[in-house]
Amino acid sequence: MESHVGASYQVARRPSRPARYWIARGAQYGILILFALYVLVPFMWVIFTALKSNYEIAQDPLGLPPNWRFENLAQAWNQGKFSRYFVNSVIVTVPIVLLVVSLSCLAGYGLARLKMPGRMLIFYFFLVGLMAPFTAIMIPLFYILRDIGVLGTYWAMILPQTAISLPFGIFFMRAFFSGLPYDLTDAAKIDGCNDFGVFRRVMLPLAGPAVAALVVFNFMGSWNAFLLPLIYLQSDKLRPIMTGMMFFTTRWGPDYSMSMAGTLIVMAPIMAVYLVFQRQFIQGLTAGAVRG
Amino acid sequence: MYVIFVVYPFFYTIYLSLTKWDGAKPVKQFVGLLNYEQLFADWRLWSALSHNFIWIILGTVTPVAIGLFLGVLLWRGARGMVFFRTVYFLPVVLAPVAVGIIWKWMYNPQFGPINSTLRAVGLDVLAKGWLGDPYLALPAIILAGVWGYFGFCFVVIMAGLQNIDMEQIDAALVDGANGPQRLWYIVIPGLRHVLTMITAFTLILGVNVFDIIWITTRGGPGRATHVIATYTYNTAFRESYVGYGSALAIVMGVVSLVLSFVFISIRERGGD
Repeated sequence: MESHVGASYQVARRPSRPARYWIARGAQYGILILFALYVLVPFMWVIFTALKSNYEIAQDPLGLPPNWRFENLAQAWNQGKFSRYFVNSVIVTVPIVLLVVSLSCLAGYGLARLKMPGRMLIFYFFLVGLMAPFTAIMIPLFYILRDIGVLGTYWAMILPQTAISLPFGIFFMRAFFSGLPYDLTDAAKIDGCNDFGVFRRVMLPLAGPAVAALVVFNFMGSWNAFLLPLIYLQSDKLRPIMTGMMFFTTRWGPDYSMSMAGTLIVMAPIMAVYLVFQRQFIQGLTAGAVRG
Repeated sequence: MYVIFVVYPFFYTIYLSLTKWDGAKPVKQFVGLLNYEQLFADWRLWSALSHNFIWIILGTVTPVAIGLFLGVLLWRGARGMVFFRTVYFLPVVLAPVAVGIIWKWMYNPQFGPINSTLRAVGLDVLAKGWLGDPYLALPAIILAGVWGYFGFCFVVIMAGLQNIDMEQIDAALVDGANGPQRLWYIVIPGLRHVLTMITAFTLILGVNVFDIIWITTRGGPGRATHVIATYTYNTAFRESYVGYGSALAIVMGVVSLVLSFVFISIRERGGD
């Protein structure tokens, strides 16, 4: 008897639900897809434009390329000297990331765990650096770099970019190390580790995810940096990819197919890496806002 | 290293802001507060700051609102969550330079996709030189900025949504609260911390915005899209008024120091 009541209840309820449910679902997905299109459509047009000839762009700026001209990419790569710009970007980015991450780990650990006089003072000293924008120091920095004779070398980007990235790195690693339980340190000390041993054998292995986030954050920071190399790496020989791309698209301004092919060349690798290491990218890039 | 490349230059900027110097002469002529007196009368500075202000308001409200909206839509495990997150975050990994170049092409008056689409559907009147129009240029760049940034807000807000207590929502459902009420009384207060943080973060980016504007318009047409950072760069490095440029840099430094101080104190307080 009871089961019968239950069944009729379900039958009675059913007709009212689907209509509303499907409308709500439809609207939900409609909106989600709309925003996905807002993101994707510009990419689509960059790709289409890059693979057309200029004549084809003028004939039909919107449609699919009538012939997929992948040779445009090769042509842009050669004419734009992108191989050199890529190499330059790697040459400056690798040392910056290594320096920032290793120094931040050491300093962050020291400031979080080692009992030394004035450590809060040192911490606040770096905190101020976290707040000062690059623009506030960029002008005299140019003359300082000139006077110490590094203008015209890669160091003109490596040194200042490392220095301005350090405060955040230290801030971030200090927050991470502060969050680890003290029991771990004490146990290692009883087992005969000194401070550095604790750091190297116990703390560092635990810091993997935080270090990965910091690597991504700094890699993207210096790879995408624009104003700094625009001022300090003015020579075309040293130009990294971002300023290189700007000069390329300016020079080839009216040649839409070339400038979009150049843009595609610059975008593609970073997007490929993102699609593979999504989690690390998202954690790394949002580290500035959510952690700490 | 930090001292040489960050602390020392900061004070050096203050010193330079008290001088008149073209960057090449051996003598830096000390002029006291003259540069600052000039600043107050400089309409170009006020116009640049007003553009920063517009950028901050529109450039903060829009992506946060979109992020919140999409976050709520995807909150209760809709199918395709991973797909949408991947797509929305995609422009965030691009450099602002690339975002600028892409949108410069989108807005291209002759063959750009936006105008071409408008012409294709017969709305020729609406086809415009978007970046060449003093009234449209700034909003147009902001729209490009939003494209490159809302995915960031979305991801951070999604992370915040995971911490909201589901039982409260269920209790509200039982009490008969409708969608907007649940959003306003439970979700938004629950996200208070995340929203404050992300707003502050976006605000600081808004004060410092440079790349995307320099790529798309270089501050033009006229001065319609100059912001404080482009004005400072232009003054100090292209027109070689190093002293005056430094005074501008100090204005910018002070604005962002104040904002960051607020940001960090909120963060330190909320973090515990």
